[in-house]
Amino acid sequence: MMRLLAVATLALCAAMPAHAAEGKRIEIKGELIDTWCYFSGVMGGPESVVGTAHHTCAMWCAAGGIPVGLLAEDGEVYMVLKLAGDDESNGGDTFLTMNNDTIVAEGMHYARDGINYLVVSEVIANEGIPNHTHEDFGVTPGNTIPDSVVDKVLEDG
Amino acid sequence: MMLRKIIAITCLLAVPAHAEEGAFSEGSKAKSWNLTGQEKALFSAKVVDVLCELTGDCPAQCGAGKRQLGLIRVADDALVFPAKNGQPLFTGAATDLLPYCGKTVDVDGLLTGGDEIRAGSAKLFQIQRIREAGGEWTKANKWTKDWAKKNPDAKGKGPWFRRDPRITKEIEKDGYLGLGLAADKAFIKDWY
Repeated sequence: MMRLLAVATLALCAAMPAHAAEGKRIEIKGELIDTWCYFSGVMGGPESVVGTAHHTCAMWCAAGGIPVGLLAEDGEVYMVLKLAGDDESNGGDTFLTMNNDTIVAEGMHYARDGINYLVVSEVIANEGIPNHTHEDFGVTPGNTIPDSVVDKVLEDG
Repeated sequence: MMLRKIIAITCLLAVPAHAEEGAFSEGSKAKSWNLTGQEKALFSAKVVDVLCELTGDCPAQCGAGKRQLGLIRVADDALVFPAKNGQPLFTGAATDLLPYCGKTVDVDGLLTGGDEIRAGSAKLFQIQRIREAGGEWTKANKWTKDWAKKNPDAKGKGPWFRRDPRITKEIEKDGYLGLGLAADKAFIKDWY
């Protein structure tokens, strides 16, 4: 029996990754953001690639499988690996549709090699998109809204 | 209105781009994208499911395309987080990495971000080329072909993100700003 237990334990350990990290349960508030544009500067400064200004681009990126992050109130960014129990972080619907929402989330925080990760088990509150960055930056990138859409609105008055 | 546009453009140009050599730059043939904190990086690494690596929740085949994948760098055992593939089309890296789940590969690309964006933060990785040890290099540009296979009814002119049915549905519902169609109209009248 003991031998069986030992074998089962060994098999379980072999199935686990070598570096499973120590997680910490947290409650955190922040905006779900497009991490590539935020960190790479490819579209400009960080303040211009959050909120309403960057909402459509953030959806493009989320649908394209770019990691979604949570930008906390203290400026720390957490890579979200699971959102409201959904682990489809590579372009899944939950990650796509909640972009730029400011949420209060409960979940596990992991830190490894200079990057924060968040596994959200529950979204406690969702404020929608209160970060109206379009008032200062327009839309980023500037061609987000097609000319045909702009022209129609201006023509219609 | 003009002043707001000038301020917006100034802010967009405010982030410096630096083509730096880093600890893993030797031998890299990565092309510059003029990114913040950019450094070329060529290294060997094992492809892993990041959620599995951190939590022990490990489905078959690294999540079979659902999850973000990471790179455990052979040289220092660091978990490097890839955010982007080699296509300039809003496309991530996981789809290009998936065929190599659990394997050790060589990757070539750019590290970006880090301290220049957030003090103490590690840089994210953009993969431009990948190969199995001893194999031929292949470009990390498979995402759009994969999308086209999954969206046969979304054929048409223009890039994928203008035709993606999930995105167009969201824009039809909540507009380009995410605040509703009336907010879009008011913004367009004010800004353009």
